[in-house]
Amino acid sequence: MNSVTTIWKKELRIYAVNPTAYAFLAVFLFLAGLFFYLGVTLTGEASLRVLSSNLAIAELFILPMLTMRHFAEERRQGTLEMLLTAPISPFSLVIGKWLASVTLCGLMFVGTGVLPIILAYYGDPDWGVVFSTYVGLLLVAGAFCAAGLFTSTLLDDQLAAGLLGILVLLPFWLISRAEALVGDDLALKLQPFGVLNHLEAFGRGIIDSADVYYFTAMTFTFLFLTYRSLESRRWR
Amino acid sequence: MAMNQARRRFAAGSNSLFVSVIVVAVACVGYLLVDLHRVRIDLSADQGAALLPDTLTKLALLDRDATPVTVTAFSGQRGKQESYYKDRALRDLLDEVDFASQVVTVAFVDFDKERLTAEKLGVTDYSTVVVQRGAARVDIKDRELFKRVGKGEERHLEFLGEKALDRAFAQLTADNHRVVYTLVGHGELDPENHDLGGLSEAAAVLQQDDYKLERLDFVRQRDMPVPRVPDDAAALAILRPKVPIPSLEEDLILAYLSGGGALVIAVDPESPVPSILGRLGVVIPSGRVLDKILVFPYPDRPVPRYKSHPITRDLSDDSLVTVVSGVAPVQAAVPPLEGIRSTIVLETSRDGWIDRGGALKNGQGLYEPEIDGQGPATMAVALEVSRDSGLVRKGIGRVLVVGDSDVFTNGLLSEGPGNASFVLNSFRWLIGDEARISVIGGAKKARRLALTAEDGDQIRWLAIGLGPLLVLLLGVSVWASRRGR
Repeated sequence: MNSVTTIWKKELRIYAVNPTAYAFLAVFLFLAGLFFYLGVTLTGEASLRVLSSNLAIAELFILPMLTMRHFAEERRQGTLEMLLTAPISPFSLVIGKWLASVTLCGLMFVGTGVLPIILAYYGDPDWGVVFSTYVGLLLVAGAFCAAGLFTSTLLDDQLAAGLLGILVLLPFWLISRAEALVGDDLALKLQPFGVLNHLEAFGRGIIDSADVYYFTAMTFTFLFLTYRSLESRRWR
Repeated sequence: MAMNQARRRFAAGSNSLFVSVIVVAVACVGYLLVDLHRVRIDLSADQGAALLPDTLTKLALLDRDATPVTVTAFSGQRGKQESYYKDRALRDLLDEVDFASQVVTVAFVDFDKERLTAEKLGVTDYSTVVVQRGAARVDIKDRELFKRVGKGEERHLEFLGEKALDRAFAQLTADNHRVVYTLVGHGELDPENHDLGGLSEAAAVLQQDDYKLERLDFVRQRDMPVPRVPDDAAALAILRPKVPIPSLEEDLILAYLSGGGALVIAVDPESPVPSILGRLGVVIPSGRVLDKILVFPYPDRPVPRYKSHPITRDLSDDSLVTVVSGVAPVQAAVPPLEGIRSTIVLETSRDGWIDRGGALKNGQGLYEPEIDGQGPATMAVALEVSRDSGLVRKGIGRVLVVGDSDVFTNGLLSEGPGNASFVLNSFRWLIGDEARISVIGGAKKARRLALTAEDGDQIRWLAIGLGPLLVLLLGVSVWASRRGR
């Protein structure tokens, strides 16, 4: 546990002094603000639903870029071998880095806290729904960060790792819109795999065990693959 | 050596691949299992996102019947104000119905893009919902789905879609059209009266289950050679007659009951007591029911306690209060008359009593043992009358006696959280429709923003400009401070 905390703190310190993290944070907040503004002016609703689905798509592009440096950069600088030979298990390394990314996402969401306040000033939002929307977005962030970490272990080049992360996650988004691409029957069968299908209920204030499981399982699976990928360096 | 290394790599690699595939497979199987036993928590205000218990009960009945039902909802007119909200409210409702039922298939159709579907179903209006079950079909129009309520700044849109869909399900599953008659001609409450003392809201609530509330006037019954309760009567309601009912009419009511009829009789402390109650072993003692536990700030509104009975089962589970006002005590004979089984439905707490005047304290009645009746006082009893009573010749007659008529009126129906459910469940029990007994809910409010152009500008700069600017400034300062080191 101590080693997880150490890695987590180290990664957060890197984020704090890295201007790129601020740039991503600014882009994220700009997009969140834009989706929120378009949502409330076009629909006239005191809710974050339009923001929620669009922000999840934005996360799909931003989070792999945010996590791309974790292992790719360590590998490029040659510090990964050092880390792997240090008395830290690969598991702690993966969890620590993932927690740091999720913490940063949490800070991003705190940054969007002004949006519900605006809603409360001009209207009467349903706070239960606002809360569940954020729970959904945080679960999505956890899963996407895990996927980003996984692709970061596969390639030396940061940017390539980031792009691969987007490519890995893209099908999960496209499946949510499958009815536009494939027949209704196939779309119905693919529905359980779509990220947006599982995020939708959170936007209505419903926390469904199947949705929570989907994101948790996705996170766990990608973290497991990250762990296996790191471990494979021992026998490759 | 190299051979061994390659072999080791292959073994480790294939092992890693195998374990990874297993993990992914376990995750997928886990999802299937979780999906089969879903648990949902509704965090929205008043649990408005999930379906109401009443809808779930009706869907369970449809599932039990296993006849496929199709719900096709057509989108609102694009560009029209509130079309987004209307479409979304409909989609959300369909999603929930789809989730809750095995036999109901839902479809949301873009009216502008899929004209062929609209033409096939003969739909010509936006925001129409078509519910089909076999050859039967119910169309729900926009005006039944959405309603504007309130005045001025308080004016807002309400979504009544779930109620309308409930009604449609009830219409599709009802064996025949059921009529609840309410006796008139003696100053009783009137189903066509829309005032606070009227029954128009009760009629709307009963319509939810496809029951029709109609007046029955024995004196003006011209379409029948001999006056009688019509054959299509599912129940007869006698709600607070102001003058005594003539014995001839009471005989007609008894004749209806003798055929296994269902009767609800509501009286107030001052209203005359139908003599039929005496035949059933029910007495309305003088005085009015009071309790130390009151609906604030009304001194004449004791909070009723639900006793164990199908009518109040779900209300009790959900802790929904039925508001009563100015209640007459109701007493069933002890021991009960032969062939009559009586069950208390509503009662006061142990601190309640039957007040017969005397001193007041801060405008509220006081219990005075020498003149008042000791509590708990009964406010409503349900009777099941069998053939042994000599009053019924076939089946079982059901009677509900309530010591308050206000509970059925427009005034209290919308005021008490449990009143609508109490009224509807009373009729469901009387008619023998116990499977439908549940809790019914109200409309869902649209949470909308009334924004001016100026507000829009302010939101734009606050939402899009402020946050990113602050973060950029922070980033630049961090970068500058690190450069300076």
